[in-house]
Amino acid sequence: MNTYEINMRVNEKDETLDVQGDETLLRALRRIGYVEVKLSCEGGDCGACAILLDGVAVNACLMFAAQADGSEVTTVRGIGTEDDLHPVQEQLIEKGGVQCGFCTPGVVVSAKALLDENAAPSREDIQRGLAGNLCRCTGYKKIFEAVSAAARQMREGDDS
Amino acid sequence: MEFLRAASVDEALAAARDGAAFVAGGTNLVPDVLFGRKKISRAVDISRLDELRYIEEADGKIRIGALATVTDLLDSDLIRTAASPLHESALEFAGPLVRNRASVAGNLMDASPAADLAPPLLAQDAIVELVSVEGERALPLSEFFLDYRKTAVRPEELVTAIVIDPLGAEDRCAYYKLQLRRAMAIAVVGVAVVLRMNRGVCAEAVIGLGAVAAIPYRAHAAEAHLRGKEIGEVEIESAAAAAADSAQPIDDVRASASYRRKMCGVLVRRMLRKAMGMPQTVAV
Repeated sequence: MNTYEINMRVNEKDETLDVQGDETLLRALRRIGYVEVKLSCEGGDCGACAILLDGVAVNACLMFAAQADGSEVTTVRGIGTEDDLHPVQEQLIEKGGVQCGFCTPGVVVSAKALLDENAAPSREDIQRGLAGNLCRCTGYKKIFEAVSAAARQMREGDDS
Repeated sequence: MEFLRAASVDEALAAARDGAAFVAGGTNLVPDVLFGRKKISRAVDISRLDELRYIEEADGKIRIGALATVTDLLDSDLIRTAASPLHESALEFAGPLVRNRASVAGNLMDASPAADLAPPLLAQDAIVELVSVEGERALPLSEFFLDYRKTAVRPEELVTAIVIDPLGAEDRCAYYKLQLRRAMAIAVVGVAVVLRMNRGVCAEAVIGLGAVAAIPYRAHAAEAHLRGKEIGEVEIESAAAAAADSAQPIDDVRASASYRRKMCGVLVRRMLRKAMGMPQTVAV
């Protein structure tokens, strides 16, 4: 077995771990406790494992962990905390954009990445921005409303 | 599986060997390895080779570095204006999470019959540049795909760039991906047409087709009905029929072979009409 020591900064915490050559970043992250990164299709279809890799939203299941050596990883827990929610998280609660919650960590990551690039997204921009995230409960309508409201909230600088 | 991160192209080439695979974005290779669809003894990570990640205009050509991502295509004004079918295909490619990692060369090397970027790249006469320890060579994309998931690239060779002819002001083009939903979908049929016009005459016609045969390919027989002609109803109908004739599609979970063949003709007709600014025969 080939193992490799890698270093990552996950949610601003330094992590050093040994990974197998063919271990995916998703499995490695979950193995060291970042279970908020959800394991579902492992084929890039569902987006439940979305993370920010050096600020870019990607599927953690679609890369080898060793490829992330030296990278900065942000999971949903690095985007907001229970005491200080990101507007996307606040509005997902407010608008009822969470049902079973399994897709939510990935949705938050994709929505944050979208709003970082586009402060005033149209409905189509939001649909396209979340195109890689499957939700089997909500029918997406409440999620889109939440992202739209979060964008408005961020533009108005209202963090109440 | 052994993992090696290459710090340079030379290092990557030195690490290449039988049973090894280059990994860039990983969006195809990683799940293929995870689910045992591909067995490799060594992954050579080229994802940090920033010298292969660029999109630029040089000597009247557009040069796309092998590691340019699909998002890079979308963000490029050069691609949007001088390779618009490629730009449109990037917009229909998977979703943002995949586009942010997937590389242009990776989409070609995966050699799926439905590779989204293949039809528009074929339609702009793409040349694939390759390098190995033996030296460099260039291969037209139309000779790149040999058979289902099989390319002309040797195991020790690395794609470094894809070079295309930019579209000029007179040139006409159109692209369509027929798919079951507007995201994360594998193409049922992909069509890109490029018509190089000279004073109202079609000097060169190239039609790239995807998902209607074992490989993405140029519809040479269809193109012959357009080249050197003033394009009207007759030429378009002949080309559409020839394109449908050329298709060798399969039945699968997304569509039947007969539907694919029919849509191949319909979409070639529609895209030629769209490119020429002609009204569609039925509402699109």
